[in-house]
Amino acid sequence: MEANDTVQTGPVSPLVLQIVAPGDIVLDLAKAGKVVRLGGGLRQDGDSVVVTRAGRLRHMQANNKYWVEGSQKRYVPNVEDGVIGVVVDRRFESYSLDIGAPTYAILPILAFEGATRRNAPNLQPGAAVYARVVKAHRDVQPELSCMDVSNKSSGFGSLKNGYVFECSTGLARSLLSKPMCPVLEALGKRFSYEIAVGLNGRVWVNAQEPSTIVAVSNGILASEFLTPAQQHIMVAKVIERMQ
Amino acid sequence: MDFISPEGLRLDGRRPLELRQLQAEIGVVEKADGSATFEMGNTKVIAVVYGPREVQSRSQQQHDQALVRCEYSMASFSTGDRRRRGKGDRRATELSLVIRQTMEAAILTNLLPRSQIDIFVQVLQADGGTRACCINAATLALADAGIPMRDIVASCAAGYLNSTPILDLNYLEDSGGGPDLTVALFPKLDKVSLLQMDSKIPLDVFEKVMNLASEGAKAVAQFIREKLMENTKQLVLAKGR
Repeated sequence: MEANDTVQTGPVSPLVLQIVAPGDIVLDLAKAGKVVRLGGGLRQDGDSVVVTRAGRLRHMQANNKYWVEGSQKRYVPNVEDGVIGVVVDRRFESYSLDIGAPTYAILPILAFEGATRRNAPNLQPGAAVYARVVKAHRDVQPELSCMDVSNKSSGFGSLKNGYVFECSTGLARSLLSKPMCPVLEALGKRFSYEIAVGLNGRVWVNAQEPSTIVAVSNGILASEFLTPAQQHIMVAKVIERMQ
Repeated sequence: MDFISPEGLRLDGRRPLELRQLQAEIGVVEKADGSATFEMGNTKVIAVVYGPREVQSRSQQQHDQALVRCEYSMASFSTGDRRRRGKGDRRATELSLVIRQTMEAAILTNLLPRSQIDIFVQVLQADGGTRACCINAATLALADAGIPMRDIVASCAAGYLNSTPILDLNYLEDSGGGPDLTVALFPKLDKVSLLQMDSKIPLDVFEKVMNLASEGAKAVAQFIREKLMENTKQLVLAKGR
């Protein structure tokens, strides 16, 4: 037994925070300590941990978890993610929603606050819904809910009016990051708008004036590859053009 | 016909063991989930990936793995004589199958059950080695789409003309009557995923040509990896945080 087997977490992979590509071996399990958790983009092959997706390798010290953070256009469902789905079909007890995942997700008709069999919201195909992922397993369809854990709506539900656009999952994640994303902060100082960001790379924007919706949407889409300082300048230019 | 001059140079000025210039671009189609163009000299291919998405026809859905589909076509302007080439001719059907099988071996299809992945490959300029170029473009497009893969697949062709093994044949050398051998492999796993050859060659010569093609594929893999890392870095690190 080697010395590092006695501690719970062994040495951290030297590739943490580096860019990795499919096929890269990031960790030797024989030397990695007892408990290693693997998140998205990694798989175990015998004694080694191999990358399956291009991105940046991340590591969480608290639970010795590794995952690959990338930016894609497709979404892989994860429990507790807030997503924006589009209703494709209505069945007897549930709706089918396209959330940009490998398969459609189901949203039970009773998964709304205060919904009963008699009194359930009536969504038509094409309606946008902001919901929470409650079941995500590769062998079953993902399941959504428009209630939080205490059965309150807390912002989830059908998104009326407004405009939905798609972006990369990386951009969606940075829009939701804390402290607040610079572009949203800068836009919020000038415009009043409503926004819902789904981790599946869909963003819903609503405002009084259509021009505000257009400005906010374009501002967000243009911010993807800009630094915080550049984002402030870009937003200032957008505002200038509006006047 | 002399394919190698007395000075040891090929028709396009390369040495026998030299690759053509490689170029690649990732994310060329805005609306697709993943896309890439790949150039090997004058051969240029565009690959576009959609998915993993809901299976279009229920009867094809597989409960334990993803359905991978591939469609290969040649643009009518891709060759010297302008000709309409459908996606239905025998060559195209065979190539679609070859590309599909190669990519299916790389994709971790068991992670995406009940879904479908579509790969569309089109040759924009044909100058020999389209098979290899298509596989390289498809790999980059799949990686761009974030589809889980065992490893990068890289491919390269090699031939045997004027009693010399030569790497990465162009159109003239390809139609020179010698063997044309295409290899696709997983560089990190060091496993071969595709090996095709038309015509016959002696066994000892085959070994030389096969090794040459493998070396070429490894060099291509290195290039693909660099391109992919460069693109990923731009996507992940340039974000305003």
